[in-house]
Amino acid sequence: MFMTRSEYDRGVNTFSPEGRLFQVEYAIEAIKLGSTAIGIQTSEGVVLAVEKRVTSTLMVPATTEKIVEIDDHIGCACSGLMADSRTMVDRARVEAQNHWFLYNEKMSVESVTQAVSNLAIQFGDSDSDGNAMSRPFGVAILFAGVDSKGPQLYHMDPSGTYVQCDAKAIGSGCEGAQQALQEAYHRSMTMKEAIKCILTILKQVMEEKLNSTNVEVATITPGKGYHMFTKEEVEEAIKEIA
Amino acid sequence: MQRSLNNSETLSGIIQKPQFSPYTDNGGTVIAVGGKGFVIIGCDSRLSSGYTINTRFQPKLFKLTPQTVLGSAGCWCDVLTFVRLIEARLKMYSYEHNKTMSTPATAQLVSIMLYYKRFFPYYVSNLVAGLDEEGNGVVYSYDPVGHCEQSTYCATGSSSAFIQPLLDNYVGKKNIANAEKGKLLTQEEALRVVNDAFVSATERNMYCGDSIILNIITEKGIEERVIPLRKD
Amino acid sequence: MSIMNYNGGVVIAMKGKDCVAIATDTRLGVRSLTLTTDFPKVFQMGPTLFLGLPGLATDTMTVYQRLRFRLNMYELRENKRVRPQVFTSMVSNLLYERRFGPYFVEPVVAGLDKDGTPYIASMDLIGSYQEPEDICVAGTCSEQAYGMAEALWEKDMDADKLFEAISQSLMNACDRDAISGQGAIVHIVEKNKITTKTLKMRMD
Repeated sequence: MFMTRSEYDRGVNTFSPEGRLFQVEYAIEAIKLGSTAIGIQTSEGVVLAVEKRVTSTLMVPATTEKIVEIDDHIGCACSGLMADSRTMVDRARVEAQNHWFLYNEKMSVESVTQAVSNLAIQFGDSDSDGNAMSRPFGVAILFAGVDSKGPQLYHMDPSGTYVQCDAKAIGSGCEGAQQALQEAYHRSMTMKEAIKCILTILKQVMEEKLNSTNVEVATITPGKGYHMFTKEEVEEAIKEIA
Repeated sequence: MQRSLNNSETLSGIIQKPQFSPYTDNGGTVIAVGGKGFVIIGCDSRLSSGYTINTRFQPKLFKLTPQTVLGSAGCWCDVLTFVRLIEARLKMYSYEHNKTMSTPATAQLVSIMLYYKRFFPYYVSNLVAGLDEEGNGVVYSYDPVGHCEQSTYCATGSSSAFIQPLLDNYVGKKNIANAEKGKLLTQEEALRVVNDAFVSATERNMYCGDSIILNIITEKGIEERVIPLRKD
Repeated sequence: MSIMNYNGGVVIAMKGKDCVAIATDTRLGVRSLTLTTDFPKVFQMGPTLFLGLPGLATDTMTVYQRLRFRLNMYELRENKRVRPQVFTSMVSNLLYERRFGPYFVEPVVAGLDKDGTPYIASMDLIGSYQEPEDICVAGTCSEQAYGMAEALWEKDMDADKLFEAISQSLMNACDRDAISGQGAIVHIVEKNKITTKTLKMRMD
């Protein structure tokens, strides 16, 4: 009875009297400290772009990987605690390969997302195998891929909730970027337009000047599957919006 | 126990060892022939053990999805267990992925489920028949430990040796000069060859007979037919 | 592994209208090793009489030679050609003499009787014979050959049709047996004519 509200935010297994799980909400807040990541789904494919914060000139930018391949036909962009994202990406890859092994077919984007969300909600699961995390993961992920239903984009947050989106921004600049996406997005967008659009928005929300070292771009198309842009391709794309 | 065995050994010269034999062969034959837009899978309906006939009407075809049928023969208890497991896996798949499993996916799953029991195998000859992405007939055949081969025709089970060369000749156009290789049969031709194959096998093989159960799989669904065979 | 499957090989005989056919593969091997592809297991025993001896190759040769001896003696003593039915009895007798140490062969007899009636017979390795109305099959791929022959055989086929049926039966059966095949020879026996054909088939 004498508990103050703040005492409910200690354990991940305890709801507050208002029915909230504060640790999960704090984890969602943690995403907003992460770098911006944007995804746009078009009828031709999906494009992902993230900003990379190069905090020091002595840092090698190529070592921070925020867009990664899950399988030939699926990629994902992460924002938040990158260490946590490794665990989830690894799970996604294992699930995708296991699905291929079992069924000799490509796993659907939604199924991969579902599999990772199962991992995300295992926090505080003290009586399971003991591998569960004691806290929610501090990452949000954009899953982009192509499957039998066509190009698809899914957004998953630390609570394990996932939604399919036409376009979605996560991370520190997400509010501004989401607003911009809302205005710019239309269903008949081509891949070329989408790449242009995504970089324009990223440019607006980034503090630093956009260049080929502080941004990552990847596309997932029915023909080529997952494709991470090379430095040259990124420069080419940046030139387009200049 | 050991001593008494040794005694009988010295007295009669017979060495007795307690044996565990978990397998029986209940016979049964399955044939599948695929073509453009259809696949036919058929089995005989006799279930036997040794010289006795357990039943004259035991279908050995199992509808897994609206376009995939599994034909299973061999140790009947293993067939029953295996089919139930695979049906459960199919149901789980449809819940997890919001779609029914395709025939190639089912074929791969069957292979893996068989190999999972590599060192205590299901004593079963399997045949998976269904439609591929283009809606054409495909047949997958297996050995008991999961080796899988895709083809357009196959015979398996106790009469496979009798039937397979016939299918090679009729369907695969083997040893026919100037034949159009790779040309697929029409549904009527396929039905006739499956029927003839069962009739021939029934003439010479004890473990084959009573009746043919056919499943004709097309995009429209699965049609079932029963044709009588010799019962002796 | 049975001794019957040591060398490999198959023989098929079929009845037609006023004709019979007998076919053999030409492989000789030791289990999976092929030694020669020139070892027919069918022998001509009279103007319209043939004998097939699939099984253990050494016994194929011995049984053939002993039968040739007995046949010659018969023809000299009786001063007449042997009838197929009588010849079958001879083969059966020879095999039964070795009831408890048998020759490992499963003979097939095919021929025309004096009046031109087709005759075929087959027996097990101790001489228990049968004289069927349609087909005789023996050898390592007998199951495959039975399946083929049962489907292809029809009543009253002429010599050409009979040749086609027996050839297809033999070739397709051999293609599903690793220790039979590598060439085949077919004999078609008609009233006044014997046609012997070598088949071109898979040699792997």
